[in-house]
Amino acid sequence: MTTTPTDGTPVASNGRPQADHADLAKTLVQRIADLRAWLFLAALIIGFEAWARSSFGGTFIFNPFNLQSIAIFAVAPLLLATGQTFVIISGGIDLSLGFIMGLAAVVAAHVINYATPGMGAPTAILLGFLVAILVAGIPGFINGLLVSRLRVPPFIGTLGMFGVARGVAFLLAGGTTVPVHNPLFATIGNGRFIGVPYIVWITAVFVLVMHYLLSQTRFGQHNYAIGANPQAARRAGIDIKSHLLRLYIMSACCAGLAGVLYSARFNAGAAQAGEPLLLDSVAAVVIGGASLFGGSGTILGTVAGAFVIAVIQYGLVFVNVEPFWQFISVGVVIIISVLIDQAQRRFSGGRIDE
Amino acid sequence: MKRRSVLKSAAMLAVAASVGLAAVPGHAQDKKYTVALVPGLTTDAFYITMRKGAQAAADALGVELVFQGAPDFNPVLQVPVLDAVIARKPDAILIAPTDTTQLVEPLRKAHDAGIPVITVDTFIGNGKYQTGSGNADFPLSYIASDNVLGGRMAATALANAIGEGGGKVYVSNVKPGISTTDQREEGFKAEMAENHPNITVLETQFNENDANKAASQLQAVFARNSDLKGVFGANLFSALGAGNGVQQAGQTGNVKVVAFDAPTSIIDNINSGLVDVAIAQHPAEIGYYGVVSAFAHLTGNSIPVAIGTGFTVINKDNVGDENVAKYIYSD
Repeated sequence: MTTTPTDGTPVASNGRPQADHADLAKTLVQRIADLRAWLFLAALIIGFEAWARSSFGGTFIFNPFNLQSIAIFAVAPLLLATGQTFVIISGGIDLSLGFIMGLAAVVAAHVINYATPGMGAPTAILLGFLVAILVAGIPGFINGLLVSRLRVPPFIGTLGMFGVARGVAFLLAGGTTVPVHNPLFATIGNGRFIGVPYIVWITAVFVLVMHYLLSQTRFGQHNYAIGANPQAARRAGIDIKSHLLRLYIMSACCAGLAGVLYSARFNAGAAQAGEPLLLDSVAAVVIGGASLFGGSGTILGTVAGAFVIAVIQYGLVFVNVEPFWQFISVGVVIIISVLIDQAQRRFSGGRIDE
Repeated sequence: MKRRSVLKSAAMLAVAASVGLAAVPGHAQDKKYTVALVPGLTTDAFYITMRKGAQAAADALGVELVFQGAPDFNPVLQVPVLDAVIARKPDAILIAPTDTTQLVEPLRKAHDAGIPVITVDTFIGNGKYQTGSGNADFPLSYIASDNVLGGRMAATALANAIGEGGGKVYVSNVKPGISTTDQREEGFKAEMAENHPNITVLETQFNENDANKAASQLQAVFARNSDLKGVFGANLFSALGAGNGVQQAGQTGNVKVVAFDAPTSIIDNINSGLVDVAIAQHPAEIGYYGVVSAFAHLTGNSIPVAIGTGFTVINKDNVGDENVAKYIYSD
């Protein structure tokens, strides 16, 4: 298994990946297609740079303020999309991530408020982080049980959990936002280290770890195998049930981290924090090159996908375009991504899902 | 039968009124009225505070209050809730309609069934009721803060905070089509245009109630307009996000933030300096007057077709004052 499993070919236990006997031209096309999210991103940045220079003589990308703002904006959608990447590669989808994020944000706010007077700020924050991420894991665990043991389709199971997590989060929050009274927590959310916000550092490290987990470990390999061909994976001796259970817990914990960082940044836990981000997270994964049919995708692609969305939304405000164009542009980019994906499969002789 | 009992209660109220309002609960025991309150959304401190005011009035009058709504401010979600409420035949409905036109027909069903309708916070049609013209004049009363006035107060507060120099400002808003936030923006722009010529209002940014997006938009607008001096957050998440955007841009104190509504998270931000001014509505009063008006109507009294509740301007100087603190939305 020397090839990376990003090309959508099943990583079967015995079969040689089909790309081995493909000619060089195909491989080149494939490589370019794999990088399409980064190419999109580059094209967008060049486009906005040209626009900024020609319309008002400013610069878009050489302005560190812009880079920083885009990075902060991308944090929450990217964290959700990281968990979502694993789930989508396995052939599933997790619709509950947005409200799991809100649940974690509210739990973190409550725990930190509760613990700060007795334990001091740093311990309370640590406790808040732990409890919030553990609590986020509970709906993930139930999602995992539903999908792996009870054979509920992920779309339906996680949709149900979307409602449950939402209700519980709002109940815990009393229907409103929960302000956090811990200045150190606000510093974590808004402070900087060598000019880069802490939350961007935390996200970067976390995403690299997840990239390693997906691309270099047995867990990641199993994930691709299950998504590409569950029957083959089962015959190859992979314990699909326990894998899926761990998978959904992990994606919920990603959303939990996003929720805690949200509370730190806005100094308040809000149940609806992640609601608008769910579809952005799916979009980031798809733009990043993953197939919704499972079996392909990378974390680095998702990073590019999340930044494509962030750059479009920030850039259009920066060059002062009518706000509704944002929806249109993100939609168009998603459609183009999927078209490229399909064309690539056809061209490389791989499976075409229709 | 029902009508007769209403008349009877009306007669009783006339007696009770002469004795004094405090005696009403004792006399109203024959017919315990049920009033339904349908908020714009259930998950918002504004409506939760409104419910508290409504409950206070309901307790005082011996009325049963039913509170049912949808988790999002969306007519598609609100109409089924309203239908279910109508099916239970309450004696009156208080509702914050989530759309000026889409809620007209669903509410007419209540009206046709003989259930009086009073709108609170938001309105249907043009908000002018009992005029005999138009198809949306059937509600009895519209009880709300004057959001255009609130927008004007926000503009004045922002202009004062910015001071003599003037500069650029913009409105951070949720999305178009919500009557209250549209009116706040309208009032804000009108006041700026009429009375503050040294302030330029830039194009409005819509954030879909996403604080993350509102923050990013502030940073983008500031990156483009280095002379940005202020922002008006037309609701909670707009203001929370804009305040964070100012902080991330390192412009706290330089770019002024005015927030509409005053839940505790905004008050915390006033204390920490991230938000300069909050325009607090009085949602508890809206709920209180709503229930009292419904009760007065049910007991045969006339009620005003419009009741305006006021605003309180909260800033760092008065936030500790207990006369001001009572207007903070509580959960």
